[in-house]
Amino acid sequence: MAGKIRRIITSPAGTLGMFALAVALLMFSSVGGARAALTYYSETYTSRVQMYDIGVTLLENEKEISWRNYDSRRDNGSWLEEKGELLADMVPEGEKFKIGAWYPEVLKVRNSGTINQYVRVSVYRYWLDQDGNKMQTLTPDLIDLEFNTDNGWMVDEESSTEERTILYYSRVLSTGETSPSFADRLKIDQSVALKVTQTTEKTAAGSRITTTYDYDGARFCLEATVDAVQEHNAEDAIWSAWGRRVTVHNGTLSL
Amino acid sequence: MIMKRIRYYLAFFALAGIMTAGIGRAWAYFTTYAEAQGSIAIELGDETEIEERFSGWVKHVTVTSEEGSEPVYIRAKAFGGGRYSLTYSGEGWSEGTDGYYYYDGMVPGGGKTTELSVSIGNIPEEELKDNLTFNVIVIYESTPVMYNEDGTPYADWNAVLDTGSTSPDSGQKEGE
Repeated sequence: MAGKIRRIITSPAGTLGMFALAVALLMFSSVGGARAALTYYSETYTSRVQMYDIGVTLLENEKEISWRNYDSRRDNGSWLEEKGELLADMVPEGEKFKIGAWYPEVLKVRNSGTINQYVRVSVYRYWLDQDGNKMQTLTPDLIDLEFNTDNGWMVDEESSTEERTILYYSRVLSTGETSPSFADRLKIDQSVALKVTQTTEKTAAGSRITTTYDYDGARFCLEATVDAVQEHNAEDAIWSAWGRRVTVHNGTLSL
Repeated sequence: MIMKRIRYYLAFFALAGIMTAGIGRAWAYFTTYAEAQGSIAIELGDETEIEERFSGWVKHVTVTSEEGSEPVYIRAKAFGGGRYSLTYSGEGWSEGTDGYYYYDGMVPGGGKTTELSVSIGNIPEEELKDNLTFNVIVIYESTPVMYNEDGTPYADWNAVLDTGSTSPDSGQKEGE
């Protein structure tokens, strides 16, 4: 009996048969995945599918800065994208940036799609030299962006570093809804103006001390990325898309 | 031999197909993102220079900030060794409680103070006839303009430069 099965398996016909079976399994597994997503939307899916477009927008001081919205009605489905610039309007024309002073930097997220979603933001703060290279020796802590965590936003301490802060919005962001601000204002710590490097040079008259400001010419940089994921099956979707285990209970997301 | 090789290929592709069957599931979720960045340059450092003119037993002092310098506050003080009386005058200069005279406004890069005049009195003219040395020194200090959290400027004359060493030097620059 075993010999017969072995002959069948090792025969060309047997191998071909197994290949056909594998192909069939592959096709059905794809169909199953698609069904898992489609059946959720009930029988009206076929007529409503074009409405299920995801989109998210980042706002700075109430101005839309960047967005990425899917539009299924346009060209049979395409992304509408804009990547704007932060801090562009921070310093009024003709003025210089004032170290130590607070500047408004109100950052929010808007659901610009047609499905409800959960969102998170990753904020990076760092220093660049005049050639645009990152300056690892200057501390991001002196770029003081004041985060809000008493309005539904929460910091993911596990994933955050000195340079990167990740915040999750615990509530569902409905279509067209704008979140509360996850940051309100920004200042550069005054100690930046006092950090210097001094070199002493011997001269005929004695010695000459040259003082160089460590942060002179450096650029402080702010970078924000907003991620959005569908509300339905959010725990699995977030795990799959963001690689983070979260819990969603009665619509509230917790880390 | 050829059939055997074909079987191997078929078996390989069948296995690869089964292993990658689950990938499509990850694409089934609706996700998107938006990103933005921006930066602002910090400018620090200043260079100032004092200009002195002496006539009729009066020292006329002006402090100039070099073009491109960051705004500074200025203060000045004259020393005469206690032998002479020193009288200060000048529009825009005010006497502090520490003997310094403070220039009221900030001096931007490329700007300069108004003139501070220091009149020297009680001059021992008899001694000067004997070629004795006469010496009155005016020193000045500048400190970078600092800002409060609400953006109002102020001078911190006690600021200490952070050199990263254990014996920081004074934050002001001096000249005479």
